[in-house]
Amino acid sequence: MRPVAAVVLALALAGPLLAPRDAAGDEDPAGARYLPPLTRGYVVSLRSGGSRVLTSLTRTSGGWTGRRAGAPVFFEDGEVAGAPVSRVYPLGTDGLGRDLLDRMLRGARHSVLVAGAGVAVALFLGVLVGTAAGLARPSGDAILMRLTDVLLATPRFLVYLLCAALFGPSTLLVVVVVGLTTWPSLARLVRASTRALRGQEGVLAARAAGCSPARLVVRHLLPALEPMVAVTAALRFADTIRLEAALSFLGVGSPPPAVSLGAIVASGRGVLGDAWWVAAWPGIAIAVLVLAVRSAVARPARLAEPPSVA
Amino acid sequence: MSRLIARRLAAAIVVAWGVATLAFLLVQAVPGRAFDELALQGVPPHAAERLRVLFGADRPFAVRYIDWILGLLRGDLGYSLQLRRPVGALVAEALGNTLVLTGLALTVQVALGVALGCATALSRSRWIDRVSSGAAALVYSFPSFWMGLLLVAAFSIALPWLPVSQMRSIDAEGAGTLARFGDALRHLVLPCAALALPMAAGMSLYVRDEMRAALSRPYVAAARARGAGRARVGIVHALRSTLLPVAQIVGLSIQGVVAGSVVVEVLFAWPGMGRLAYDALLARDEPLVLACTLVGAIAVVLGGLAADVASALCDPRFAAERR
Repeated sequence: MRPVAAVVLALALAGPLLAPRDAAGDEDPAGARYLPPLTRGYVVSLRSGGSRVLTSLTRTSGGWTGRRAGAPVFFEDGEVAGAPVSRVYPLGTDGLGRDLLDRMLRGARHSVLVAGAGVAVALFLGVLVGTAAGLARPSGDAILMRLTDVLLATPRFLVYLLCAALFGPSTLLVVVVVGLTTWPSLARLVRASTRALRGQEGVLAARAAGCSPARLVVRHLLPALEPMVAVTAALRFADTIRLEAALSFLGVGSPPPAVSLGAIVASGRGVLGDAWWVAAWPGIAIAVLVLAVRSAVARPARLAEPPSVA
Repeated sequence: MSRLIARRLAAAIVVAWGVATLAFLLVQAVPGRAFDELALQGVPPHAAERLRVLFGADRPFAVRYIDWILGLLRGDLGYSLQLRRPVGALVAEALGNTLVLTGLALTVQVALGVALGCATALSRSRWIDRVSSGAAALVYSFPSFWMGLLLVAAFSIALPWLPVSQMRSIDAEGAGTLARFGDALRHLVLPCAALALPMAAGMSLYVRDEMRAALSRPYVAAARARGAGRARVGIVHALRSTLLPVAQIVGLSIQGVVAGSVVVEVLFAWPGMGRLAYDALLARDEPLVLACTLVGAIAVVLGGLAADVASALCDPRFAAERR
């Protein structure tokens, strides 16, 4: 399943490049509002500036007639600049007439980048503290592990809410809080493996040869730790995508203009009955991202991975 | 056994103290914010100074820290600046509602997860295994807020059977006890399902893997050889050794339940701790958010403790290993 995960992540990262519209693609918020998936839209550019999105268009004598937001409209040839363009909204549009596919591709990249940055911080700290505790004397080990226990008990969702109350919500805060609250689970794992490895002959020989602790970690321990750490980090990454989505769903994650999948779901929350597609697609996108990442590491992942809901 | 509990309890107390200290340091890192803003609200400086003294913000760091810890021990969580009520009373009101919701969700999670996981592991058909595991992996990947919206769209909008929010109907006050209970239950269904379904799906995957591993061990083959039936081997022999890691996982999943309850309570306007924390955040009510974080941390610590005790009850070797 790794190729699937690679493709999904690459799509998410390349999102805005593949996006069918410019950032300012919402040319006619009123006309293109809540168009269902697969609607064909006709963009009529006006000489007076701006454009209108119509859902049907026919050439009549001296102009164009069609329907815009359910009402009939007529444009004289003199008003229209250039020929009208037709386009399809594959996933429909949101309340501001924006193409949902475009919004989602942007949101997916945001989710992947924020979760990736947070987990990268956690990975660095986790390996640092884990190897340090694993190699340290018992007293140092005890201190580091008690700190790890304390942080393991702090619910990161609530820690984020607390920090957001203190500092105000921001993308940076999401990354920092994820980093600072996610490393303990990695550190525990790294410490346990380091302790198991440090008595091995290769490690002992490296130490006897005068290898510095930093070199010992980078050259001798990390290669052995890599598979297990990678699996755990990937699972944390999947969790963090969900966490970020939940925060932005609640409106306390990255503030606008950042586009986040959770925020798009939130914008469709009030129109579930009339425009289900606004909330549906980004939720499915989150699930696809999470599923792709998890399935890439699914088999060896049984080791002590608690189910979690963000 | 009792030694294990004593040791774990001591460790839990140390952890709780550590969390309280970290939270205090975090809040102190942004000193006097609430009081700085008084000036912006047009409060004259001498009045602001008196408020600072009244709330004890002018005292030395160490004194405030000791006061904070002693206050926590007395159950004094501070004073909500926004709601102008003691935080302890607000938390006491909300905690019960959250425990009803999360308690039921955890029960559903474990019951459904274990049942589904065992059924999948014991099924002889590869297709049942694939479909069931695939569906569980899919459900486990959806965020709980999306699951909640899906349930609302299905059972409140498309089929108007269940209420979308709150804990009780407005007109339920005058009704009889039974009718009120039924009304409360109807309000509980959707938030509970939104919280429990993704977790139960994750749990079933875990139980399936554990069960499969247990079924391939020699003692299971021995039991089969002695003539024990398929169901008996699964439920009596394999399930027992499966429950040990399951107990650990349930304990660890408290972290996820705490996070999920914030989202689900906000989504369904459930008047519990998660919603209290969220509203407090929007109002920038620091003491209240802080108290909610502490209560959540204590829940996580207690979850770990309960998991260890349950594991020791399941398997005496566990108590011996952890010493």
